[in-house]
Parts: sequence; C-alpha cells; structure tokens
Amino acid sequence: MSEPTDADKGPGHVKYEDWREHLETGTLLGVQCQSCGAVSATPKRACSGCGSREMAAIELPERGTVYSETTINVPPEDFDGTYQVGVVGLGETRLLARLRGAVDIGETVMFTGTIVEGDGPGPVFESAE
Amino acid sequence: MTEFGQHDRSLEELFADAALPAIDDAGVGVSEIDAFYFGNAMGGMTENETHLAPALATHLGMQGIPCQRFEDACATSSNAFKHAVEAVEAGRHDIVLVGGVERCTPETGLDTGVMTRVFASASHGQYEQPTGLTFPGVFALLTKRHMHEYGTTEAQLAEIAVKNHSHGQYNPHAHFGRDATVEDVLESPIVADPFHLMDCCPFSDGASAVVVAAPDRAESFSSTPVDVTGIGHRTDAVPLADKADLTETRAARQASTRAYKQANITADAVDFAEVHDCFTGAEVLATEALGLLKDGKGGPAAAAGRTRVDGEIPVNPSGGLKAKGHPIGATGTAQIVELTTQLRGDAGKRQIGDASTALAHNLGGDAATTIVTVMEAHA
Repeated sequence: MSEPTDADKGPGHVKYEDWREHLETGTLLGVQCQSCGAVSATPKRACSGCGSREMAAIELPERGTVYSETTINVPPEDFDGTYQVGVVGLGETRLLARLRGAVDIGETVMFTGTIVEGDGPGPVFESAE
Repeated sequence: MTEFGQHDRSLEELFADAALPAIDDAGVGVSEIDAFYFGNAMGGMTENETHLAPALATHLGMQGIPCQRFEDACATSSNAFKHAVEAVEAGRHDIVLVGGVERCTPETGLDTGVMTRVFASASHGQYEQPTGLTFPGVFALLTKRHMHEYGTTEAQLAEIAVKNHSHGQYNPHAHFGRDATVEDVLESPIVADPFHLMDCCPFSDGASAVVVAAPDRAESFSSTPVDVTGIGHRTDAVPLADKADLTETRAARQASTRAYKQANITADAVDFAEVHDCFTGAEVLATEALGLLKDGKGGPAAAAGRTRVDGEIPVNPSGGLKAKGHPIGATGTAQIVELTTQLRGDAGKRQIGDASTALAHNLGGDAATTIVTVMEAHA
C-alpha cells in the first residue's frame, strides 16, 4: 500500500487532532459537506447525507440549546463524583458535552472550556440564562 | 442456557453448560454440527481472552469446523444468530451451533468502576468517553428526551422494573425475580437520572446456546422445532449526538420493518416480545419502535398492565435483561431460548397461552445496532 497523498485526503480534511487542538484553544471545530451542505460537530471522512468526501472545516456556534441531559452518579474508573452530561444542539448539528449549572432541556448554554479526566478533552457548556 | 447470575468458572466451562444441553435438546450428534457462530463482547478486556471460538469448539469436541466470533456490544449473539440463520438458509451449512458467553460480575476480579469503564468502551472513544458518559447515562439521555416529548414519568418507568421482576420470579434461569413495588424502585439510589438502581439491569455472568438447522434436518430432531420467519438488522449513527432523533431508535424501526416483511406479518400479529430492557426506559423506546404500542404510549401502557405476562401484549415474560440478567454476549441467544421455550408451550408459570408468533429485539451500544427476530410455532 502506498502512503495517502494530499489529493486522497481531499480539501480541508479535518482530523481528530485538529478538533482536539481547537477544543483546547477555545473553539468548536465541525465539518461541512461541500456537496450537500450537511454539518457534523465531529470530523468525518465522508458525509452521512450524500457520501461526498469533501468535508471542510467550519467553526461551530458557541451558543446552543440543551437537547437532552442526565446527571451521572456512578462514574467510570478515572472519573470522580457526580456530574451532568448532555447533548447540545448547535445550529443544525449536535454535540455531546459536559454540562455545568444543572441545566434543563431547552435551556440556552455557552461553550466555556474543556474537562480532561479520561483520555483527551471533552467540551464543557454552562447556562447562558 | 445457564442460570444467569454469578459464576466462578471459566468461559469455556460456562459455555459448555449452555451448549451441551442445547445440542442434547436437538438430539443431534456433535459430529453433525458443521459450523459454530459464537458471541462474546468483552472477554479481551475482562478476562484477557480472545480467539475464543476455536477454544470453545475444542472444549465441546467440535474442533475443525468453521468457527467465528462476533462482537456488537450487547447485540453480540443476535448477530451471530443472524449470520447462522442466513448461512443455513443459503445452504452453506445444515446444522450449526449458535451461542454466547460473558462474565460481568466481580467474579472476574473487576470492580464496578472498572466494569463501568469496560461497558463505556462501546461509546465513542474520542467524542463520548472523554465526557465521562456511562451506559446508564446513554439510555438516560434517550429516556429524558422521551420524557420531555411525551410526558413519560419515573413512576411509569418503575412499573416496568416491577413487571419484569415479577416475571423473573417464574424463570428458573433468572438472576433476580421477586414482588417489588414502585416505591422500592423510586427509593433505590439514583445511577443516572431518571434511572434508579432498580431501573438498571444487573451485571451478570451466563451463557446461552441454540441449534439452527435446515428445515428438512430439523424434522428429524428429537425435540419440537420452531421456525425463524424473519430477521432484520440495521444500524444508526455513532456518536449518539449524530442520531437524527434520540427517542425513535431508528435502527429498531427499520430492523422490525424488515423482519415483519420477511415473516409476512404486521406488529399486530405478535403474541409476545422479548425486548432489550437494559434500562426501563429502553423497554419504552423498544415497544414503540417495534410498533407494539403507539409512540408515547410505552410508559402509560406498562403502568396500566398491558405489557404484563397476562396483558394484551406481554413484554419480557422471561423477566427481560432487568430481572433475568444481562451477560452481554449471552443476551441475544437467551432471548431466542425464551422465544423457543414459549412457542413450544414449555414456559411453565410464565407461559403465554396460545403463543404462536413471537419477536426478539436485541440492541447493541447506544441502540446503534439493532437486530429483530420473528419466530413462529412450527406448523
């Protein structure tokens, strides 16, 4: 097998490392299909809507709405205490995140930083109301 | 199948206690079995054992035949079953052994925190695990959205736990089973809201197995065969934030549509169902996705007793994962065992009268893998 060339990767090919670096420096990186316009909050090599491999980086909104949430009382190894996680709607896409401030479904939240307890960072959102 | 609970023996010894009775029930010789379809989800992490299929086949005196191992989280052995049925249907094999085994209790030497992390390995490594999401948390997210959209209540969820515990007391293989109350459930500690401890299935050890045969070969078996008339298998997006909807469990809708079409029936024809109630909320989502109840009615129907063993559409007469137990890789074929037992009329105190058409719904991970099987009493 030959090494992939830049052409194989397609324009704007976004990797987990890019997503992670942006997260750590305070921006939410998503990808948008250059063929059909579908947006994903996490990198994909091909579009789930149309299969196109032209997925370009976009910056996601930092303000979103809580789509669902739960408070976890029994954490996995490497995590401590009681904490809230939720799915946050960001425009036309959604992202799983750690939540702060006992927010409810439908509440407006803002991206405020990251937590690092397991392997790699996770996004944190807090109430904006 | 073995009793689900705590077992202090090795995977091959545990599996033999399910496989040999299944082979004997069919009345076939081990030498007549021409393939082995096997499920184990987490043995690499929990017991440092992989490449289990040929080892288990050797232990059962079946070495040499084609053996394959499946891993699809909690839908592991249903996927093995699907592949076995399709291989027999295609004429590639005549008589195959299908089954699964798993140990999840502290008998493995692993505590709750470690096992919670092992289960969480079925969520996305980069975009879910770093948030500290657990599997009770995954199904809590699905269920809280359902509560928001349809008004499903914690008390209705608790009614499902009460029902399945009640059913479990009549299943000699069940991990748990007793008369519990809604108050017992609501007063148990919260694991991930809205789920209390009693909304959650237990960590269990166990094994299950069935023999799948071509119709002409099954006619010569010593026991009464039952027919597999439809199997649907679909998947949904992972990570779960990518799912178009958190309450529809789309893979279950698509898989059941396929299974009903193959069986040439509609949901109305189903006499009872074994569904994947890893958490009480999962049973609500399943009964609606399968078309057994209208969207939003899963909770109220359970609370009204409509899904009890003596209700109009019995769900989880075995006790379900909730009471029977959930040894991950053994769960799928254990559902097939319950369907077989009921369709033969051999289920004793939990027998559903005149059951002739049954459905099994087994999901993996955040419901991203779902396999639906329709089985019917042999005409």
